[in-house]
Amino acid sequence: MNRFELLNLLQETLQNNLVVCNIGLPSQELYKINDRPNYFYMLGSMGLSSSIGLGLSLTIDKNVISIDGDGSVLMNMNTLATIGNRAPSNYTLLIIDNGSYGSTGDQKTFTNEKTSLKDVAIGAGCEKVIECSGEETLENLNKALSDNNHSYVIISKIKSGNVTIKPIPLNPITIRDRFRKSIGLVSYL
Amino acid sequence: MKISKKIISNLKEGGANFFLSVPCKLLANMIAILEADKEVYYSSIPREEEGMGICAGAYLGNKLPCIMMQNTGIGNSVNSIVSLLQLYQMPVVFLISYRGTPGEPVGAQGGMASVTEEILDTLRIPMLHCSAEKDLEKISIFANHAKVIEGPVAILCNFDLMKEDK
Repeated sequence: MNRFELLNLLQETLQNNLVVCNIGLPSQELYKINDRPNYFYMLGSMGLSSSIGLGLSLTIDKNVISIDGDGSVLMNMNTLATIGNRAPSNYTLLIIDNGSYGSTGDQKTFTNEKTSLKDVAIGAGCEKVIECSGEETLENLNKALSDNNHSYVIISKIKSGNVTIKPIPLNPITIRDRFRKSIGLVSYL
Repeated sequence: MKISKKIISNLKEGGANFFLSVPCKLLANMIAILEADKEVYYSSIPREEEGMGICAGAYLGNKLPCIMMQNTGIGNSVNSIVSLLQLYQMPVVFLISYRGTPGEPVGAQGGMASVTEEILDTLRIPMLHCSAEKDLEKISIFANHAKVIEGPVAILCNFDLMKEDK
């Protein structure tokens, strides 16, 4: 299973939740599969999907899912400590770990070698950390969302590989405002 | 404590209601005030760039976030300011302890101090300089200005002003 197939599999759950999606191909694939106003597509700032979702989850009661990649988490690994100590139960970090920097030409990341993001997350203080295959991810994501007492970090181990895809045509303010409208915070649209 | 109390109270009056900090000696009193404040969210965080992301999320959830940090934190955060906060037009207040300004005992702080304002200027971020107690009165209108322009603003608190705040 690659990321495109995984994102397809997860749609039945993702489409009904607030999702912050990692820059580059993950967002482009998500957009192509099923564009939704409750999907916040990152157009820049690689590494911060986990942090943006955390900030949102701290300010509202609804479930928030941050979709991140192994390369992006490696770039902002300190945020796992913030998540471990501060994430509320409505927060789920889904790390799609394909062992490669997909958007830049599939160069290998350190999760292909010695680094285990599961061990890093546990060491950083995250209590509910699940590492699973792509096929097991939907079930674990649903479990995370229905647990009202804990935040979760899910590491979904899949194969690398991307589909040919175009950049997202939406401008950033459109993404921002329709996302905020889907939370119920914009009255002018 | 008097100056730190005034800064926090003016930030709150300007609408700031979600606070993060990466610690600095000069921010210690403000951090202590916020830790005891039940009205607003406060947490310390390990790194400023991450804080820009958390602030972006808090803004999406309808908060006016304020991140407190040393001026060195601006250097750690340039891409996240431009490619996240400014790209999506998100208001965030930067409350900056301006290390390396006169009174600073640590010579090594002079380097970032000498380029801080040029970086903020290049990023087109409005700046409020606080070097005396009377300057603090402008903080609330300046925090609100972030909402008006839908982008980050920077409040710079000089070393001399903060070091007297026993």
